[in-house]
Amino acid sequence: MARENTQFDAIVVGSGITGGWAAKELTEAGLKVLMIERGRNIEHQKDYVTEEKAPWELPFRGVGDAERYARDYPVQMLNRHFNEFTEGHFVSDAENPYQTGDGTRFDWFRSYQLGGRSLTWGRQCYRWSDYDFDANRRDGQGTDWPIRYADLAPWYDEVEEFIGVSGAAEGLAQLPDGRFQPPMALNMVEQAMRERVLAAYPDRLITIGRTANLTVAKGEEGRGACQNRNICARGCSYGAYFSTQSSTLPAAMKTGRLTVETDAIVEKVDTDPRTGRATGVRWVNRNTGAREQATARMVFLNAGAFNSVQLLLNSRNEANPNGLANSSGVLGTHIMDHANAIAALAVVPGFEGRTTFGNRPTGIVVPRFRNLDQLDGDGFTRGYSFQGGALQGTWTRGKRQPGIGAAFKNELRSPGMWTMVFVTFAESVPRASNRLALSNKTDRHGIPQLEVTFAHGKEELAALADAKREAGAMMAAAGAQVIMGFDQPNNGGTSIHEMGGARMGTDPATSVLNKWSQSHDVPNLFVTDGAQMSSSACQNPSLTYMALTARACDHAVSLLRSGIL
Amino acid sequence: MTTAAPWGRRDFLGAAALLALCVGVPVATVQLTPVADDEAPTDRQRTIMAEVADLVIPRTDTPGGRDVGAGDFAILALAHGLSGTRAPVVSGAITPAIATFLRPDGSLRHVDWLERTLDQGGRGDFMRRSLTERAEILAAIDAAAMARGAPWSPWVAIKGLILTGYYTTEAGGSQELRYQLVPGRFDSDLPLLPGDRAWSSDWTAVEFG
Repeated sequence: MARENTQFDAIVVGSGITGGWAAKELTEAGLKVLMIERGRNIEHQKDYVTEEKAPWELPFRGVGDAERYARDYPVQMLNRHFNEFTEGHFVSDAENPYQTGDGTRFDWFRSYQLGGRSLTWGRQCYRWSDYDFDANRRDGQGTDWPIRYADLAPWYDEVEEFIGVSGAAEGLAQLPDGRFQPPMALNMVEQAMRERVLAAYPDRLITIGRTANLTVAKGEEGRGACQNRNICARGCSYGAYFSTQSSTLPAAMKTGRLTVETDAIVEKVDTDPRTGRATGVRWVNRNTGAREQATARMVFLNAGAFNSVQLLLNSRNEANPNGLANSSGVLGTHIMDHANAIAALAVVPGFEGRTTFGNRPTGIVVPRFRNLDQLDGDGFTRGYSFQGGALQGTWTRGKRQPGIGAAFKNELRSPGMWTMVFVTFAESVPRASNRLALSNKTDRHGIPQLEVTFAHGKEELAALADAKREAGAMMAAAGAQVIMGFDQPNNGGTSIHEMGGARMGTDPATSVLNKWSQSHDVPNLFVTDGAQMSSSACQNPSLTYMALTARACDHAVSLLRSGIL
Repeated sequence: MTTAAPWGRRDFLGAAALLALCVGVPVATVQLTPVADDEAPTDRQRTIMAEVADLVIPRTDTPGGRDVGAGDFAILALAHGLSGTRAPVVSGAITPAIATFLRPDGSLRHVDWLERTLDQGGRGDFMRRSLTERAEILAAIDAAAMARGAPWSPWVAIKGLILTGYYTTEAGGSQELRYQLVPGRFDSDLPLLPGDRAWSSDWTAVEFG
């Protein structure tokens, strides 16, 4: 790659959901950009090597080699999208270790490759509302967001229209409608449950998931409509779901102003000791161990929330002994991840003679109904929502059924019963005690590992308890028979919504970034991935990261053009 | 048939390929990643597992468990710990019959356990019993293991892996059931007609159904 002796306008660290967006926005604005990715190159279509495989074409039939996974992927194997088809899109835990603090169980799911987790994400796209941006101010936990919904709404518009989000407009204040492509359909069980739940609980709505899968092709961008395969994490040659490869990377490459460096683990942001400004970054080639560097007029960190924080902490120097952009001392603190649990799994009788065709790549969502205009949560002040859906069983039910022989085989030949599940995602309260720090252990390149200290608090537990009660009541009111439900959270990290650590705020003494995702301390340094989040809401956060990135890029370009940067 | 010589890794792979030729199934269905030498099955164990797979899913108007190598897949899967089968057996579940077959790490040699259990059920060589008797013996083990509130039994995992070994083959997945990688559309409400088969390519249902 031609980056020696090249003066870039901007360096973007990371090529995932926000890195791709930063590269697109900055190059389209006329800037010369270097995007650096720590993992391997993955070429759209060509490198989706398992995409069209059948289970019988793989040694372990798609389930995977549990013995090898336990050795090399003990964390990643817990991801529901991880299997023999997709394992190449996840990191080896053995090669990429991290530490946890005392008492912490944190499953950190990672994808180090061009495109990052945009290849494996759940694709759910939900706008935040002012209930969310006002949450910290309202109950006094965390620091107040320096922005509100109106600041971000036009950027949500831009992002949704470009990436393609299918969804149904519902007119809810707590989950604002967006610029949607036509929605995917509720199946007949979900539709009936929607009507029945609404009859019993007028403030609780089952709606189709808002997902970054195209229902209408974007031919001008070379993206086809979703084929309803629901194997997205293998990679999609139709380009039907949003990923860096399908969407932002081609747009950035089209400008002719993007340079991509893969296999490059950025270890430090360089600064000018005289001005305190960022001058570039340095990295180690993961294959050769060679150290290299590049310079630029500004730096965007999009390495993923935790790795962007790691990079800032590891960029400590004489002038910044506690890490770069950390005069506040809050860098690494107030990390969050939604508390999740299966709130209710229920059998839905009455649909034995009905079925569906195709594999819809999204489920349903029940938007937040607690602690909106009234504080009606018992022991918690934030929100939760349900995601899930109704499905009809197939052969795997035989693993729980007695029987052998022809009659057993014949019984499994037919589809099984309909069940419906609600999974709680509860807002994670920002707490100083949940934090990232550099471990005294290093990786194979001598770079300090991250140490994650994290625990859900009483508020999250209270929300999960309420969610279990309410999910069970909603299912019962709709005629479903609850089989099980849980109110204890799964491990931290399992929502794959880890965020915070470089929070945004008005006061440089208590926050890392200003309202433009720009470092208070280092004016030409921007952090626009999940690290910037000051609270977590209960929605999937990626859409908000993208909107904040587009907004920050626009601001950065205006500063550059006006000569301020 | 011999039970004397344990199978080496190479032998097992070779036999798997030979089996593929003999029964005319695609090599892919018995393509086996190596198992450690001390995990390799005996001839008899492979015969028993093939038989058990066929008792669970017999040949009807579509191939059965033996036809597609579901027994060999279960052996491979058990050697590699699928479905948690290389985890230590919880202490409360260790009966004398289980204890005999524990590895040093506390996990169970499931195939050894099943072989012994079937022979005990047959009061001798399970494979010398009639087909009807073999089915009755296995049905009794299944009924005891799968009953509501039943104590932990290794059979649950073995059965599950036999089912995986069957329904993830081309015959099991696309003849016995239906398989379509590219549906191309989603129909949200259709009548389920008599004879309509389940989908092996409904990945969410496979995972959670």
